[in-house]
Amino acid sequence: MIVAGIDVGSLTAKCVLLKDGEIVAYKVIKVSPNLEETAEKVFGEVLREAGIDKVDKIVATGYGRNKVSFADRTVTEISCHAKGALFFIPTARTVIDIGGQDSKVISIENGKVAEFVMNDKCAAGTGRFLEVMASALHLKIEELGDIAERAERATKISSTCTVFAESEVISHLASGERVEDIVAGIHEAIASRIAAMARRVKVEPDVVLTGGVAKNKAMKRALERELGMEIKIPAEPQIVGAVGAALFAMS
Amino acid sequence: MNVGYLCTYTPKELVYAAGFTPVRIFAGDEHISLATAHIQSYACSQARGSFERALKGELDVQAVVFTRCCDTLMRLADIWERNTDMKVYNLEFPSRIDEKSRDYYFRELQDFANTLKEWGGDVTDESLRESLKLYWELEEKLKKLFEVKPDYEAAKKVQEMNVRDAIEFVDSRLKKVEKSGKGPKVLITGSVCPFLEVYKLFEEAGFILKDDICTGTRFFTFNTPLKEIESVEDGLSFLVEKYFNKAPCPTKHFPNDDRFKYILELAEDCDGVVFLLLKFCEPHFYDYPQLKEKLEEMGKKVLLLELEFPISSYEQLRTRIEAFYEVLA
Repeated sequence: MIVAGIDVGSLTAKCVLLKDGEIVAYKVIKVSPNLEETAEKVFGEVLREAGIDKVDKIVATGYGRNKVSFADRTVTEISCHAKGALFFIPTARTVIDIGGQDSKVISIENGKVAEFVMNDKCAAGTGRFLEVMASALHLKIEELGDIAERAERATKISSTCTVFAESEVISHLASGERVEDIVAGIHEAIASRIAAMARRVKVEPDVVLTGGVAKNKAMKRALERELGMEIKIPAEPQIVGAVGAALFAMS
Repeated sequence: MNVGYLCTYTPKELVYAAGFTPVRIFAGDEHISLATAHIQSYACSQARGSFERALKGELDVQAVVFTRCCDTLMRLADIWERNTDMKVYNLEFPSRIDEKSRDYYFRELQDFANTLKEWGGDVTDESLRESLKLYWELEEKLKKLFEVKPDYEAAKKVQEMNVRDAIEFVDSRLKKVEKSGKGPKVLITGSVCPFLEVYKLFEEAGFILKDDICTGTRFFTFNTPLKEIESVEDGLSFLVEKYFNKAPCPTKHFPNDDRFKYILELAEDCDGVVFLLLKFCEPHFYDYPQLKEKLEEMGKKVLLLELEFPISSYEQLRTRIEAFYEVLA
């Protein structure tokens, strides 16, 4: 049985093909304003990569899930992230997903979602915060993690609001703070926002970090310090939601 | 004259008996701008949004009655009085509901009747008897309608109508209503939510609804059977009884924790409970952690949805509601 999971997020769309429960192909592309077209494109690319032309079932998830008209059904990204995280790390009890413009914490009991909280009203605590700060510092987003690792200390970023935090970063530069320290401070600011949200549900180990931001090692360490717990990262953190969707397509 | 009110502890029966039309004031769905000159942005958006409509001249009301329910509405009363041409009356509804406060509330109702007289309305034995009867009829019919299937559109509409028209309107809905289908049952609890799209999101996700919302079931749940009254005084005593036994809200204090008991009882036949809370609503948010704990002890799943009026993104709400459905289904 070949199934597809398509996760149309705010910044990227991901598609995963599963054959008899094994990942055979996946793709991550940027989202265009036309969500339907984006979904078709990422699905088409994955089919091409796998060298097949049709699948048995398709499940869509993510903010754009209702725009994927060729999907057999939709499942929310909450359920999909939980299922996907369990696929990669079966001992997962808490999933922290930091997406492009939202973040969520899901607690899992007996293999099912028990409780969840989401932040999607504010860019603080999301990938967008990192993007804005990277651009204020003229850095590439991929570099941020490595730069933060070279910090001597973390500059305190007090503003919660992303826009104000950006001005704060600029004023730290003006007062001569090292870029490395500021970048470390940015990671701590996000970690503290996420941890505050996570405390509204039960945070039990194993804690799994998913979403594109999970590729950033400094982010992982900042969160571990903030929560006082070890965090596990799936092999491909960005496709966890799509994998979950594909698993729902199997059942 | 139309007399506006925001809180369901307002004795509309008395207003109607005086020959005026009680009209509920809801927040609008436009951006709040004028009101920000008078109320800080960390006050609840029901207060700010309602006042915005008053300042914009959208409200066809000539007087407003406040009931001293929460801090924000108490202050709003003063702000309203200074910044609109409407008459404003503060009915001091006791916040502690017990034997000692009965007499106090009775005297408050007497004072209110006198003020209504100054406004040109006369409460008589006959008019009060009639008004009590009509509101009883409306409440019973709404109860019947909600038992078949909650109809938030009807509940909202009747609060902006004359009670006679309201009864007729509910009658027409009762003729058409069909029983809800099958699905997990959810209790929605919170302050006010006049935005019907929110309830629709729950229905579209597949939920069967039950509520403890001030613009829904709490508007018509009073728990005091109608009684024939001999005099206005008699009628006022009846109103004390009626409003003291009303579906409770967290702005009131009860000697026996009535509010918690009421919620836990409502939740008994539900699979989950959704707290639909307005950002900055202190009375509801202070209760939330403890109530959540008690509900979870009962084995109920709990979801907190924080709203701010006007609601900017229904799709984000939809994701949470659908995810909660997936948790329960």
